Amino acid sequence: MFYDSRPKFQVSVNQTGEVYACAVGESLLAGMIRLGRRGIPVGCVNGGCGVCKVKVSAGRAEKLGPISRAHVTEDEENQGFALACRFGPASDLSLDVVGKIQKAFGIGLSK
Amino acid sequence: MGILRIGHVSLRVLDMKAALDHYINVIGMYKVMEAANGHVYLKCWDEWDKYSVILTEDKEAGMNHLAYKVEKDSDLDDLKKKIEAYGIAAKIMPEGTLPSTGRMLQFNLPSGHDLRLYAQKEYVGTEVGTTNPDPWPDNKHGAGVHWLDHALLMCELNPEKGINKVAENTKFCTEVLDFFLTEQIVVGPGGAIQAASWLARTTTPHDIAFVGGPRNGFHHMAFFLDSWSDILRAADIMGKHKTKIDVAPTRHGITRGETIYFFDPSGNRNETFAGLGFLAQRDRPVSTWTEDKLWTGVFYHLGEPVPSFTEVYT
Repeated sequence: MFYDSRPKFQVSVNQTGEVYACAVGESLLAGMIRLGRRGIPVGCVNGGCGVCKVKVSAGRAEKLGPISRAHVTEDEENQGFALACRFGPASDLSLDVVGKIQKAFGIGLSK
Repeated sequence: MGILRIGHVSLRVLDMKAALDHYINVIGMYKVMEAANGHVYLKCWDEWDKYSVILTEDKEAGMNHLAYKVEKDSDLDDLKKKIEAYGIAAKIMPEGTLPSTGRMLQFNLPSGHDLRLYAQKEYVGTEVGTTNPDPWPDNKHGAGVHWLDHALLMCELNPEKGINKVAENTKFCTEVLDFFLTEQIVVGPGGAIQAASWLARTTTPHDIAFVGGPRNGFHHMAFFLDSWSDILRAADIMGKHKTKIDVAPTRHGITRGETIYFFDPSGNRNETFAGLGFLAQRDRPVSTWTEDKLWTGVFYHLGEPVPSFTEVYT
């Protein structure tokens, strides 16, 4: 691990118990990827595909850029739903993973 | 003659400024026009018609419509009759519906994707012209892609509910639009389910492709490059611009294309695709990839599942 002096908040992923330090101004998803952690599905990382949808259950997140309303409506955003690639931590926070990677090619649909 | 080639993609982006930086400085396109409604039109250096990508700022990412150019204006009337006889509604949109573009025949594929055909688009010429043309222009920039090459659409596939929009689109495109099948993926008992298909009108391995997934959507549009060294250079440019690369340079088994998958700043997937692959011909036998080898078909070197390839799209 390289030394990283940026101020950080603790991010907890409720389903997996994963806890990692995410820098201020860094997205929740980028922070997870940087540390080689898992828990939140990784997709386009640009606010478009929706697989990294999360719900902040405790603490606060700040929006870093535009997100596709196909995946998080304005109402949902007000209720704490977010795309992890476009929100960063504004305090220590806990989140539930909502987005789900689904099977393609018609394989494993019954699983 | 009917359909000549892919004409353009109209794409939704979340942030126009970021999108233009990507399509101009990373991909290497040229901005040719901005309409009164804010839509921006772009072309590649080796294309002679006015534009091949339309960017529209929106609250969602994804594709508005996909368009192909036909040879003759009368092809639009002939194809309208054939499409309607097949049982799909089709309408003529008048000249000027899109700037610099003649009348368009609009219909939805069985999957629901909005497809347009047109015969006329304003000619502006390539960046090297037609008299003693240089192999590439001095104002080439970014990855310097030659042209929009193909598009891949995600189509609902749910065998348990009897839904297979890949097979329905393939049947429609071959029987009505006169595409021919070059390659396919088949899954399930006895390979009875057509889970993906690649179809051509030109001599390249595909001008359109369909892959089965949980919902309809836009998988990617691809831009043509000459060679593997151009692919390496394109990846360098993506590194320089911090472009989100989905799949680093590799080769497809299917189409044999040399490839990079990456995302635009709104999460729409792009591809740079290099190499001839093979000469697509109507009498060339169709290549079939089976369920146990399908990932070798998609990414030939590793041959392992890359979940984002099939499950992340706009």
